[in-house]
Amino acid sequence: MAETIQMALNRVEGDLEVKVAIDDGRVTDAWMIGTMYRGIEKMMAGRAALDGLVITPRVCGICSTSHLLAAARALENLSGATVSYNGRLLRHLVLGAEKLQNDVRHVALMFAADLTNKRYQDKALYQEAVKRFQPFSGKSVIEVIQASKKIPEIIAILGGQWPHSSFIVPGGITSEPSGADLRQCQMLLSEFRRWYEKSILGCSVERWQQVKSAAQLDSWLEEESHFESDLGFLIRCGREFGLDRMGSGHESFLAVPEHGLPGIASGGAVIGGVASQDNITEFMEEKISEQIRYSHYQDTGKGGHPMDTATRPSVPGDSKAYSWCKAPRYDAQAVETGPLAELLVNEDPLFQELVQPHGSSALLRELARLTRPARLLPLMEGWFHDIDMKAPFYQSPGEFIEGEGFGLVQAPRGFLGHWLQLSRGRIEHYQIIAPTTWNASPRDDLAKRGPIEEALIGTPVQDPENPVEVGHVVRSFDLCMVCSVHAVTKNGSSLGRVHFGAV
Amino acid sequence: MNKIVCAGNRFCPEDCFGPLVYDRLLLETIPPGVEVIDGGLAGLDLLHHFEDSDRVVVVDRVHGFGEPGELLTVMWDEIAQSKAVEYGHSAGLQYLLLCLPALGIIPQVEVILVGQDGSADEAAIVAAARMALEVADG
Repeated sequence: MAETIQMALNRVEGDLEVKVAIDDGRVTDAWMIGTMYRGIEKMMAGRAALDGLVITPRVCGICSTSHLLAAARALENLSGATVSYNGRLLRHLVLGAEKLQNDVRHVALMFAADLTNKRYQDKALYQEAVKRFQPFSGKSVIEVIQASKKIPEIIAILGGQWPHSSFIVPGGITSEPSGADLRQCQMLLSEFRRWYEKSILGCSVERWQQVKSAAQLDSWLEEESHFESDLGFLIRCGREFGLDRMGSGHESFLAVPEHGLPGIASGGAVIGGVASQDNITEFMEEKISEQIRYSHYQDTGKGGHPMDTATRPSVPGDSKAYSWCKAPRYDAQAVETGPLAELLVNEDPLFQELVQPHGSSALLRELARLTRPARLLPLMEGWFHDIDMKAPFYQSPGEFIEGEGFGLVQAPRGFLGHWLQLSRGRIEHYQIIAPTTWNASPRDDLAKRGPIEEALIGTPVQDPENPVEVGHVVRSFDLCMVCSVHAVTKNGSSLGRVHFGAV
Repeated sequence: MNKIVCAGNRFCPEDCFGPLVYDRLLLETIPPGVEVIDGGLAGLDLLHHFEDSDRVVVVDRVHGFGEPGELLTVMWDEIAQSKAVEYGHSAGLQYLLLCLPALGIIPQVEVILVGQDGSADEAAIVAAARMALEVADG
């Protein structure tokens, strides 16, 4: 018998409701409902050209550095300003730090909490899952809190504060870290690496990098330290609980070119592009569009490119709209973004093979995220090494008066873009597409589902009163909707939503 | 060292109690041995302030511990009895508070919450700042 359930989803960042239709124990349709309107973009109109460097990091308390970097790159794209090499290195370092803390916290505190759900109490690995990931007290939860608290200190040392720093500016960065500052950052990074290798991987980063096929992964898993590590456990538990066979979606993946640096630092760059059906195409910014047929916004009539679209809230009575998220599309296609997309666009042999049997899955997204530090840590160590204390960290970009530009960042959760138009030194137009806007988008103008909506189709739901499987799929995208009001509350509830004004 | 950690979002009227108390504390004479921290939205990243302190006074908006408008102190034991929150952006600080025993902070460090339910006027901000100082210096 078919039934529909609607659940307010906790443990995502902000406000989100998921509505699914279930028939014969499986999801047959899904709707991602962004329930909050903010209006950051509307706040930008009429402001001075550089104001985005202060305001847009407030979009998010987790990935504020990514928004700052996108805002600076949009101004640089507009003016043609160049960035000093040291400035580029430092920017990559703070972006990397933001990813490190996000990735381990998401897996241990948000995603893996569902592995302790009573739904799995009869599974062989359930007690071990509780021991590791029980909220507030699980061994891995506590370790992750202790280890990850050091990483934002790197951003604070280099950028003055975290979150919501504004030290990245067109032309570079405003700070000139001392040798002692850099050594302290390197020490923090080394400390994190020691913990990550011991607890998460159960081996060195170099050993993990040797795993390039599914067979090698199985061999790696047989070694005791790997078997017992958090990564090894996540693989074992995910397979036993069936997370490797739920969450396959449109199977189109988007990543932005990132970490591109000349010389020896160039290795490990995210190439950028779209991976779809064994075909990888070069990324082209002009192929991005925003569609709003199912979103609570008015059409501008000027087309769907974010340089032309606007943020005009509208809730007419007869509308089909159901979300405050717009529906971004690449070349008219719904595409998924995030760490798994990074790997598939970059033709990572291990993950290319792992998606073959059943397509992408909730488990694969988490594996891609939990192993991203293994890719980032050596890069970050190299970037610290390459900093030339005698070279500039900033070069003047000139004034910003007229024109348009965009800034793209491969943020912790994937593709982030800022689009900007200036007139007489004032912001005339500002649009932001965040990673979660891609992933949690509603249907588009052709009524095609967004990536998470599609990924939910076919998901088994054993108990509609406890649809933990839906949570696995949705949370595997590491959603970041918006910030809601926080307070210390006696009943554990959020104090609800703040209507700043639009997403 | 005792610390007063003021938490919240100064750009959000419903959540700016802690930052406004922080601003007020900057106008007060801070006793020796007390440090005042602008905790903002740091959430879990406030952990190091608990690790190297004898007593931490957290100043934040609260809900459900008292009557609307009431300025109150909440001792750790009462915080511990609050319903467990899921980790998320809106629960960073409270999640941290509930993890303190597993992190080895409680019972070594005394943790006390100073808060108000609902919006605060200037008189309440002044009163909260003085209450936080009294608790931190007591």
